[in-house]
Amino acid sequence: MPSMNEDDAASMTEQLENRLVDSIKDHEGVSRRSVLGGLALAGGSAITGIGAAQSGNESGGNATTGHDASFGTPGKYTEKNFDPHGYLREFNTGDSTNERDAIFGKKDDLNAGVSQENGQTVREFNLIAVPQEIEIAPGVTFPSWTYNGQVPAPTLRVEEGDLIRINFTNAFSDMAHTIHPHVQNLNPAMDGVPQNGPGAIKPGETFTYEWQARPAGTHLYHCHMLPLKAHIHRGMYGTIVIDPKPEKVRENPRDYIDYHGPITDEVREMAVERAKSRNMISHADYVPDGYDDIDEMVMMNGFDTNFDADNEVYAANTRAFAYAPAKTHKYEGEWEGGKTKHPIEIKKNNLQRVHVIQTLEYDFINSFHTHSQFFDYYDAGTTLFPNRSTIDTVMMCQAQRGLFEIDYSDHQPGLYMFHGHQSEFAEQGWMSFFEVTE
Amino acid sequence: MTDTPKSDGGVARRQKQPFGLPRWVMGVVPIVLLVLLVGGFVMTTPLAGLQTGEPLPDVGISQTSLPNDHTIRLQVTNNAPEPITISQVRIDEANWGFSMSGGDNTLAPRESATIDIPYNWMEGYDYDVGLIAADGTTFPVTIEAAQLTTGLTGQVVGTLAFVGFLIGVVPIALGMLWFPFMQSMSEKWLNAVLAFSAGVLGFLVFDAGFDVFESAGDVPSVFSGPMIAVLGIAGSWLVLQAIMDWRNDGEESRLSIAYSAGLAIGLHNLAEGLAIGTAFATGRSALGVFLIIGFMIHNVSEGPVVVAPLADGERPALRHFVALGLLAGAPAILGGWIGSLSQSPLLSTLFLAIGIGALLQVVVDIVDMVRRSGSIRSAPNMLGFAIGLVFMYGTSLIAG
Repeated sequence: MPSMNEDDAASMTEQLENRLVDSIKDHEGVSRRSVLGGLALAGGSAITGIGAAQSGNESGGNATTGHDASFGTPGKYTEKNFDPHGYLREFNTGDSTNERDAIFGKKDDLNAGVSQENGQTVREFNLIAVPQEIEIAPGVTFPSWTYNGQVPAPTLRVEEGDLIRINFTNAFSDMAHTIHPHVQNLNPAMDGVPQNGPGAIKPGETFTYEWQARPAGTHLYHCHMLPLKAHIHRGMYGTIVIDPKPEKVRENPRDYIDYHGPITDEVREMAVERAKSRNMISHADYVPDGYDDIDEMVMMNGFDTNFDADNEVYAANTRAFAYAPAKTHKYEGEWEGGKTKHPIEIKKNNLQRVHVIQTLEYDFINSFHTHSQFFDYYDAGTTLFPNRSTIDTVMMCQAQRGLFEIDYSDHQPGLYMFHGHQSEFAEQGWMSFFEVTE
Repeated sequence: MTDTPKSDGGVARRQKQPFGLPRWVMGVVPIVLLVLLVGGFVMTTPLAGLQTGEPLPDVGISQTSLPNDHTIRLQVTNNAPEPITISQVRIDEANWGFSMSGGDNTLAPRESATIDIPYNWMEGYDYDVGLIAADGTTFPVTIEAAQLTTGLTGQVVGTLAFVGFLIGVVPIALGMLWFPFMQSMSEKWLNAVLAFSAGVLGFLVFDAGFDVFESAGDVPSVFSGPMIAVLGIAGSWLVLQAIMDWRNDGEESRLSIAYSAGLAIGLHNLAEGLAIGTAFATGRSALGVFLIIGFMIHNVSEGPVVVAPLADGERPALRHFVALGLLAGAPAILGGWIGSLSQSPLLSTLFLAIGIGALLQVVVDIVDMVRRSGSIRSAPNMLGFAIGLVFMYGTSLIAG
């Protein structure tokens, strides 16, 4: 068994730091940067990075000689229909001028237009239930059931008070589906359960769901057909982000603040500022003090590849280790990014706002943990002041979601891990990294 | 024996064939029809509707070994009729890198490969190792109480030779020293000794019989391990019986029965040595002094078994005794070496089965021998047979 003493550890740490500095220098100006740069959220429009940067040579597997760390999933992803890195920053607002790449062999026209009806903004989306083989670990495919050919389903981004109109088509030949949103609906027919309203949407049928965009926050939509376990685990879930409206916050600050004391004008204005910072539809250019706002999306999920009601693969956004280095050597601290597996590159002076939704099936809890970092946590994103501050781990049950605000401005550039702190989940794919850059 | 010829000498009995066709035509007609039928099925697939879905993928992990402190090695075989790709490997619910022999990670039907996983395993721990195929199917195996697999080194060769000598050659040589005593016995009691031998061999048949089917269960299912065992048992029995009958055509030879007993016990000891060698190589040997003593007492009964057929008559030349002793005992050494080289369930199933067939053949010969010289169901014979079984059972408890 290899052993390390402190001197070795120190020299390795130094070596690691040098390596990271070198690698960051090397990464300056590479196409990867520009790919992600293109994903910056201008005007809340839908931006796609899907299918990009998937070709080229990525060496398969980790080195297998001697005492190398051979940990992880060797090989690269070859399916091109879904890229977790593109998905991360793709927010669909219904604006039909933004086209998405074809995912399941054709254009899905997800963004079906934004219009005004009775003084309410209507954001219209086309969602299609369609079966799709997806690659969840290099070389391992999973027969998933999807909305619009991807797992997780497309992220919808709307503003508080909007009407979300979903033209839902069930393109399955043999199975009924629904869409159930975790929003505050006033019409039970729109709840998307098989027992109510239109009930199950049968193969080939269509139905238009209309949901009220409230409350502000980060929410979930998913299929509610029975058996529920199967329909969720197979991949029928996605995110709805509802941006808070600063005007409404100014009118009713109490709705957004988990606090029962008197609310001063100062607190009211702080809440309004925070609503602006969170609102990327009407206040896309708003920059909080000292930051350049970047929103991200992480969804925690897992897959039971052999259908024994126990997950074999865990992930943040479907692909095991997609946000981790493609290669690591345990005792040298060396790492390399690949084309399909690489850390999420972030700038240290941006505020990191991560939406996390727990959709893992079969395991009762999941968690989100950041390395060398403590964050503010907003449960379901429905409040403008954090429910918990200065913590580094949050435990979440299925359908629980939250906003994580993370500040790396005083950290040195380099790799910072984040993962589910169930070691079993982490070691089977739910292990990710931020690569903090200047 | 009567004067009725045993065979008709191979003369055709009836020349007349239907439609006046030559005999050879009628001989090949069924084969031609079968070929046409199979060809027709292949071309037209009239039974396509019979295929209900895909056959289930099946990858057998026939062997796990730990060749050094940072490698876990698996021997895998594709038992299914479709090719399968091993995409990922995990150990204790963690994904791990791996390399697979054969160029790519795809196994054709019946193809075998070696998978090496670089993993710093810890001694004494259990490891759940799983393969994940491209379609997500998993194939698990558990390594219990991890121990270094030593393989065949010079030291192991020497140790196994010594152990094999102690438990194979020595007890048989000791047992053969009863020969002068057996020569002095009356025919009645000598028959009882032969019955004791049959009991000893009968015990070994059952003992190895259970082992062979256990070992057959570890053979990749595509090779039908249990049928290999059946074929090995029946095949070796019939071949040895045919050789004996041919050698003894007309004249009964006690020496050849002794040699066949020696061969049978030798084959059995080969299988025993194989198990010891495998245990040794996989770090599973607990061959303490006590166990070796147990084996020696257990095997000492094999000496008189080999020489009992010779007791009634002239003593053959001494070189026959040396040869018999080595034939019966030395294979334990050879088996040990083979077992430490290859921990193949297929090989041990084959050797065990061949050994069982040989044991059965000798039992039959001994029974014949006893029957020719008197009633087989005499009280001393029954007692001798029973003592043989019980003695072997009792000493097997010591040998563990």
